[in-house]
Amino acid sequence: MKLWYVSALCFYALGICSPLFAAKRPAVSNVLAHFAAVLGSLALLGLSLTIITGNGETLRFAWFAPLGDILVTLDGLSALFLLALGVVGTAASIYAVGYTKEYYGHRFASMASLYNAFLLSIVLVLTVSQVFYFIIAWETMTLVSFFLVNHEFEKAGNTKAAYQYILMTHVGTAFIVAAFLILSSSVESLDFAGLAGAQLPGGLRNLVFACALLGFGTKAGVIPMHVWLPEAHPAAPSHVSALMSGVMIKTAIYGMCRFFLEFLGTGPQWWGVVVLALAIVSSVLGVLYACVQHDLKRLLAYHSVENIGIILLGVGSGMVFMSRGQALPAALAWMAALYHVFNHAVFKSLLFLGAGSVLHGSGTKDIEHMGGLIKRMPVTALLFLIGAVAISALPPLSGFVSEWLTFQSMFHLPAAMSGLLGKLWAVILIALLGLTGALAGACFVKVVGVTFLAKPRSAGAAKAHEAPVSMLAGMAGLAAVCVAAGVCPQWMLAVVGRAVAGLKGVDSAGMLAQSDWLTTMLPLGSGGDSLAMPFVAVLLLAGCLMALGFARLAGKAKVVTGETWTCGIVPTARMEYSATGFTEPIRRVFKAILRPVVEIKAEKEPNPYHGVRMTFSVHITNIFNEWIYNPLCEGVMFLAENFKRIQGGSLQVYIGYIMVFTVIVLIVSNRG
Amino acid sequence: MPYESLLIQVVLVLLLAPLVQGVIKNTKARFQSRRGPGYLQPYYDYAKFLRKDYVVSPTTSWVFHVAPYVYFGAAVAAALFVPTLMNTGVTFNNLFILVYVFALGRFFLAAASLDAGSAFGGMGGSREMYIAVLVEPILMLTLFSVAMGAQTTTLSGMAAWASGTGLTFSGLLAALAFLIVLVAETGRIPVDNPDTHLELTMIHEGMVLEYSGRPTGLIFWAASVKQLVLIVVFVNLFVPWAPPFVEGTVLSWALFALKVLVTAVLLAAIETSTNKIRLFRAPGLLAAGGVLALLALAAQ
Repeated sequence: MKLWYVSALCFYALGICSPLFAAKRPAVSNVLAHFAAVLGSLALLGLSLTIITGNGETLRFAWFAPLGDILVTLDGLSALFLLALGVVGTAASIYAVGYTKEYYGHRFASMASLYNAFLLSIVLVLTVSQVFYFIIAWETMTLVSFFLVNHEFEKAGNTKAAYQYILMTHVGTAFIVAAFLILSSSVESLDFAGLAGAQLPGGLRNLVFACALLGFGTKAGVIPMHVWLPEAHPAAPSHVSALMSGVMIKTAIYGMCRFFLEFLGTGPQWWGVVVLALAIVSSVLGVLYACVQHDLKRLLAYHSVENIGIILLGVGSGMVFMSRGQALPAALAWMAALYHVFNHAVFKSLLFLGAGSVLHGSGTKDIEHMGGLIKRMPVTALLFLIGAVAISALPPLSGFVSEWLTFQSMFHLPAAMSGLLGKLWAVILIALLGLTGALAGACFVKVVGVTFLAKPRSAGAAKAHEAPVSMLAGMAGLAAVCVAAGVCPQWMLAVVGRAVAGLKGVDSAGMLAQSDWLTTMLPLGSGGDSLAMPFVAVLLLAGCLMALGFARLAGKAKVVTGETWTCGIVPTARMEYSATGFTEPIRRVFKAILRPVVEIKAEKEPNPYHGVRMTFSVHITNIFNEWIYNPLCEGVMFLAENFKRIQGGSLQVYIGYIMVFTVIVLIVSNRG
Repeated sequence: MPYESLLIQVVLVLLLAPLVQGVIKNTKARFQSRRGPGYLQPYYDYAKFLRKDYVVSPTTSWVFHVAPYVYFGAAVAAALFVPTLMNTGVTFNNLFILVYVFALGRFFLAAASLDAGSAFGGMGGSREMYIAVLVEPILMLTLFSVAMGAQTTTLSGMAAWASGTGLTFSGLLAALAFLIVLVAETGRIPVDNPDTHLELTMIHEGMVLEYSGRPTGLIFWAASVKQLVLIVVFVNLFVPWAPPFVEGTVLSWALFALKVLVTAVLLAAIETSTNKIRLFRAPGLLAAGGVLALLALAAQ
């Protein structure tokens, strides 16, 4: 186990160093760095598989370091996240070999090196179990990804996005540090094992909960702390976006698991309710904003906000069940959340890599300028479609399984809530999750339809080219995992069950007791709630084959090619339904939230009877910036302006300040 | 697992779905003082469609060709899940899988509607997804009002519970809510109009406008299967006397057939007695359904 771990770290370290030696020859450093990253990620896969198939032992070891030993813990929870990182890391690194060729001559060596450092820091975050080094690893992860987000600083907006990202996450880190400091000062331990089950007075305990939720919530992109996410993820190179969206924001979920499951343990019910409220806001608003986006990568970033919401719905339900002492539903809810962590890591990376291929092939991120790419990039289109079906939670792919588990766990939420209002609220939560699923479906119909189908809408799209084999191979691996985790969920269920096994208030063994390879049986309610994904897949396939059979039975039908009827005019791409048009009904129904501002401009011509050129644009108001962040910024600037007056530049005044301050300190300290 | 009963059930649903469609069409015509097509007309129509050649735009890709088959496959799979005439032994027939299997078919058909590159298809697809966004949560809420009582999400468990409790006030409210959902899901007035694909009404019919011949046959047939499956769910949960898959007697089957026919007539009556509402009035109607479902939950 330790060997796998050390070799993964060594490969990544090698990957960090190698491009710097061959900086003059990018082709060499490309192969070296990404080959090392692939090896490191494969070693991670080996590591997580060893932990998962092992006998449930936790490996703990310490390395000597000047500021205290570095403690490393490899347990089931780490293994699950490492598995996700291993899968996504392998695929993204293979993909990067082809994708990063565009960056030759654009600080390529530093990018390849930082990419490895990013992977390395995520591994450390997921395994280091000592407060001090955890925070260092956490900070390293943030800083490295900051440089990756800012890599293409020539492009307008990227630097702003990067600074917004680092500012927001640093505020988050402050909260995390506060949470850790309160905890470790009260139990006088920096070791995670010592923090587990810490006995704190109620008020402090709530404070730790709030700090952890705010801190990790910022990194996860929970609304309203999400504003950095849709800016930073699109700015990074696509293979990095895949890692950021797929794995990095999940490290926040990992942190929450550590805090809410291990350190704090079972809390009062309102903790769960608060998490649920944040979760539902994130999922519904996340998907709504995604629906009205046309920048492919930003759209995917908003879907990350949505999916973090879905994960947190599981987390919040789990906390409510734990507070009620219901170990079985709690296990189901946590398992659902963790399963969705893995699934989202896989399909979101697949989609981001797909978006990268599209960008690489057509040169644009705006889906309104794409179209018809399925003909020019058939493999990318197929793989992207698989990701889209998975993220829309449609059977038989992976997204459906974890969403089904989330639904099933939330089904028992009304019974755990007190009062009629609480019960109705819980039911409405489930309906809103249903709404989220439906909106995600609508959004991905738009993405797939407008990006890949029909006629190309721009010259770039018409001349698009398929991605090289390495990029396709990386995506194909992820697509295969999407299918496998959907059709045969049992193995992954056992993995997530093991991740939360042995924790107080969660009975994952009991939850899985009645399941076998075919059927997931939930021992809850009046019984009988089950899911047999292999069977579902077979039934769906049988249905399709039946349709084929009926078509055959009816005899031979000739397929005639005929141009789309457009009332006698030659059809062009301008007659196609646009992405803006496709989501117009949704924009209209949810206008209270989205606040679209429509602008129609008509160019005046001397002759009013000739056609005038009309331009239509719609702008979605970012209420979070307008209501929260802009006033906050203004407040900070106002304070700064006023504090400036103190700084007069005269030395005497400064000495005066020091004297006044010393006197105050003396008075205060004498009192104490 | 009793595979033969599974097979019998799916064959029955596939064969009887066009008949239900025929009954609705004919009744509607009679309500409107027309003679209307015969009950068997949908069979002739679908058979004819399946035999016909079809025109495909050169703009389209394989998605356009595959979508009708996926749509049909999803409808067939739903027909297999839902307990109808006998106990098929499918244990995982829960409400989520029903909702999401339908969503799978819709996803592909709506994507395909954009494939031919005409504005009409895209408009239909857009509206279909918009209606789905409104319907899906309400459908879940409605089914939940029964599932919460039954403490299970399996449709067979819910139906068994409903037949045990009989008619309640809560059930009545939920039944009303489900009727609204049923009307919206099957593309009927007041939400959509199944008889035309003029721009003003084109939702489902607009979405499949670019199809002709054989794929159209498959889509229409699948839509009628979906309609029958939803009617069966309605009958099982909200008109729950003597469900045939529990009792298994000839009498219960006859009663079941009668209930399905009455529901079909009811759908025709709703369609005749209301007007098509504006597209952006649909949220109000569906919200009414949602409120009814919530009241049903509160009344339990």
